[in-house]
Amino acid sequence: MFHPKVIFRIIGILLFIEAVFLLGSIGVSLFYGEDTVKPLLYSFGIIALVGFLLVSFCKGGERNISRKDGYVVVTMCWVVFSLFGTLPYMLTDSITGFTDAFFETMSGFTTTGATILQNIESLPKSILFWRMMTHWVGGLGIVFFTVAVFPMFGLNDVNLFSAESVGPIRSKLHPRISVTARWILTIYIALTIVCAVSLRLAGMGWFDAVCHSMSTIATGGFSTKQASIAAFNSPAIEYVLTFFMFVSGVNLSLLYLAIFKVRPMTLFRDTEFKTYLMVVVAFSLVIGGGLFITSDMGIEESLRASLFQVVSLQTTTGFATVDYAVWMPLLWLLLCALMFIGACSGSTSGAMKCARISILFKVMWNEFKRIVHPNAVIPVRMTGRIIPSAVQSAILAYTVIYIFMLVSGLFVNMAFGVDFLDAFSLSVASVGNVGPALGNYGPMASFAMLPDVVKWFCAFQMLVGRLEFFAVLLLLTPVFWKRR
Amino acid sequence: MRIVIAGAGAVGTHLAKMLSSENENVVLLDESEEKLGKMETSFDLQTIVGDPTKISSLNDAGVGNADLFVAVTPDESRNITSCILAHYLGAAKTIARIDNYEYLLPKHKEYFASLGVDSLIYPEQLAAEEIATSIKYSWMRQLLEFGNGALVMVGVKVRENAAIINTPFKDLPHDIPYHIVAMQRGDETIIPRGNDCIIPNDIVCFMTTHENIPYIRQICGKDQFSEVKSIIIMGGSRIAVRTTKLIAGDIDVKIIESDINRCHKLLELVDDEVMVINGDARDPELLRSEGIANTDVFIALSDNSETNILACLAAKRAGVCRAVSEIENIDYISMAEKMDIGSVINKKKLAASTIFQMMLKTDVSSVKCLTFIQAVVVEFPVHENALITRKPVKSLGLPDGANIGGLIRNGAGVHVTGNTMIEPGDHVIFFCLERVLKKLEKYFK
Repeated sequence: MFHPKVIFRIIGILLFIEAVFLLGSIGVSLFYGEDTVKPLLYSFGIIALVGFLLVSFCKGGERNISRKDGYVVVTMCWVVFSLFGTLPYMLTDSITGFTDAFFETMSGFTTTGATILQNIESLPKSILFWRMMTHWVGGLGIVFFTVAVFPMFGLNDVNLFSAESVGPIRSKLHPRISVTARWILTIYIALTIVCAVSLRLAGMGWFDAVCHSMSTIATGGFSTKQASIAAFNSPAIEYVLTFFMFVSGVNLSLLYLAIFKVRPMTLFRDTEFKTYLMVVVAFSLVIGGGLFITSDMGIEESLRASLFQVVSLQTTTGFATVDYAVWMPLLWLLLCALMFIGACSGSTSGAMKCARISILFKVMWNEFKRIVHPNAVIPVRMTGRIIPSAVQSAILAYTVIYIFMLVSGLFVNMAFGVDFLDAFSLSVASVGNVGPALGNYGPMASFAMLPDVVKWFCAFQMLVGRLEFFAVLLLLTPVFWKRR
Repeated sequence: MRIVIAGAGAVGTHLAKMLSSENENVVLLDESEEKLGKMETSFDLQTIVGDPTKISSLNDAGVGNADLFVAVTPDESRNITSCILAHYLGAAKTIARIDNYEYLLPKHKEYFASLGVDSLIYPEQLAAEEIATSIKYSWMRQLLEFGNGALVMVGVKVRENAAIINTPFKDLPHDIPYHIVAMQRGDETIIPRGNDCIIPNDIVCFMTTHENIPYIRQICGKDQFSEVKSIIIMGGSRIAVRTTKLIAGDIDVKIIESDINRCHKLLELVDDEVMVINGDARDPELLRSEGIANTDVFIALSDNSETNILACLAAKRAGVCRAVSEIENIDYISMAEKMDIGSVINKKKLAASTIFQMMLKTDVSSVKCLTFIQAVVVEFPVHENALITRKPVKSLGLPDGANIGGLIRNGAGVHVTGNTMIEPGDHVIFFCLERVLKKLEKYFK
């Protein structure tokens, strides 16, 4: 059953919170004395007003959120957040055109990091900060973030929470959601601060350091420079970012146990983490070797470039230190594979996630074993736990939807005149929330030239990929809307 | 001694029979009248129908003045509960059968004692330990260690090709590094004298030291089989699970279990290297497709003794050089021995001998039972002024059916002859028939 009053009241509350996030940008604007204060205050006013109206009109009604309500709220709040998130861009004239502004905001909240901007450095600092803010909030998930930061709104509902949470296997750190959320938030904030300080020490200015740290920990990919990380031209910064991108790709619950509970071995016992580490090392070595042979870079330089790019694309961040669109085409294929694999579940990264890949490979391997031992009962184990067959088939279904989504993206992109390579890589990068693609839409390029339809479809792919398909696509099925 | 046994299952009834034949006052308590039915009429013991976790039933069984309370129902939680209650009602000592390896860890011992559970036994673990040793030394039937390995007892089935057969013991050289403590010939247990000799198909118990094990193997004419690489276990019982945990190293283990639900449960219990196969291990087609011909050891651990015997026969015929079977029915053991199906494990005997050890008043370092002979091997520590230290061994007048296997002095194994004087601080290894064990106690007081 649906409870529209509940749904709209929650959306109203969430809008209030979006307005609060905007205060950060207003602060930056005041600090640097920019002329964006006024339009930002207008945006703040509009968002807060709409939120207020929704909450006051939808007073009363049911208190409980049903499972169905949960899915509607989560999907709607991501769309509504992105709609209202365009206001700062539109009112300050930083981005003209609603399509572009919506693309940019959706790319921000879903931590994709694809941008339609063509001269990032010319934008006011407060707008740059707003872009990072969308990443940082979207990294943990809008609902999750709200539950963790503002427990007093009483949104800590299981149905709401589980509709947004991602990954094939769910684990709680604490019996209560609000406490789990707070612990996760603690590690998230701690990582952001440590990353910002490290970047400052590595030679960035304070503003850039904070912005990049927000973008890195959320595995987003927006930068304050048009040329991304290449603009800094500093190996120290690259190493710091590689490290923090890698850490952000780890399951946050595991990180919490490893760091705050001082149980680092839990990391190395975890099958998913081991898979993640293995993929990073293997791909970095192969790509590094390929670069060393085919380009005029030295050993250290090719390994650094390869490691940075592998971690950046696998964690679906999408930073770049070099334009990999000019590397030999064979390496593109490997990069595409990384964009598809993704990092660990329970992290801020997108794409398939190592847990699913690892389970898929085990399921496949078991089929071979079953031919030799037809009567054997062969389990799929992750970190010693047996994965039930229901979860296995859910993962197979997930993979099928993933591929379907990739292909439909490819179809739409090509239908509107995008080249095959561009269309394919755009689709992979959007569904996986990576950001930069290959070919004409590589890391140094802007998405501004894309046809509008393609931009809208990419934004849709980003949303669907971020919420792991089922939450959004469920709303498109007739079964969901039946009254019973 | 008044002993209350709760649970008339396999272990409980065996223990009750054994203790009643030792002239102890045994009370057997169980909920099922059916299970108790025949016991009271065929054995000299009392049976009480009642729930062992009820205070009223425990009072009926007279737990209050019991010297020993043994809880051996199939459910470990009930065993622990009834031990706690029995302790509260006044039982002097309690023993609970458990089914969880964690409980056995030494760090929890004190806590269980504080609850009123003095000792824990885990028959499946004992059986698994025995299977693991028999796999390690595949040419022997049994290997028991004493004094941290200073002395070992080795049981070997001797065939026609052995060097020592048909030689009377008095003609054997005097400097041999072993001592033959007993032989099993058919149903008969022989404590050897000078004129006896070993004939083919005897199971011979040698007492020796670790470094002489290869020598024993040589004189018995046994080949050193190459290291065990692959094992097939029939039946995913609790013993099977414990066995897979104890088998160390690079061994390929397959468990064949016929119940699919049990298969799924097994997967949660065993390690990743163990392969679980759903099927009937008596099916030769299945065994062939799982590579029985290249399997080194076949272990039959199903609930049914007859099935185990047949499966081991089939496996031996299919080319497995070594088979181990668990046989619950004690009467079948000697029969199984004649059928030449390899080692036999009996968890009831193992559990009973452990409980037996706990009953003895003098402290005994260990009691180990032999599956193939109605006998136990006991390690006694010798105290100051004990009777056994006063005379040389030959003048002690030791009871018939008891034989000194050797002694451990300062951590090293020592050969015992008739003139040996036993000193305080030694550990004496006795080989004796079960009924003689209690008579030996007085020598150590």
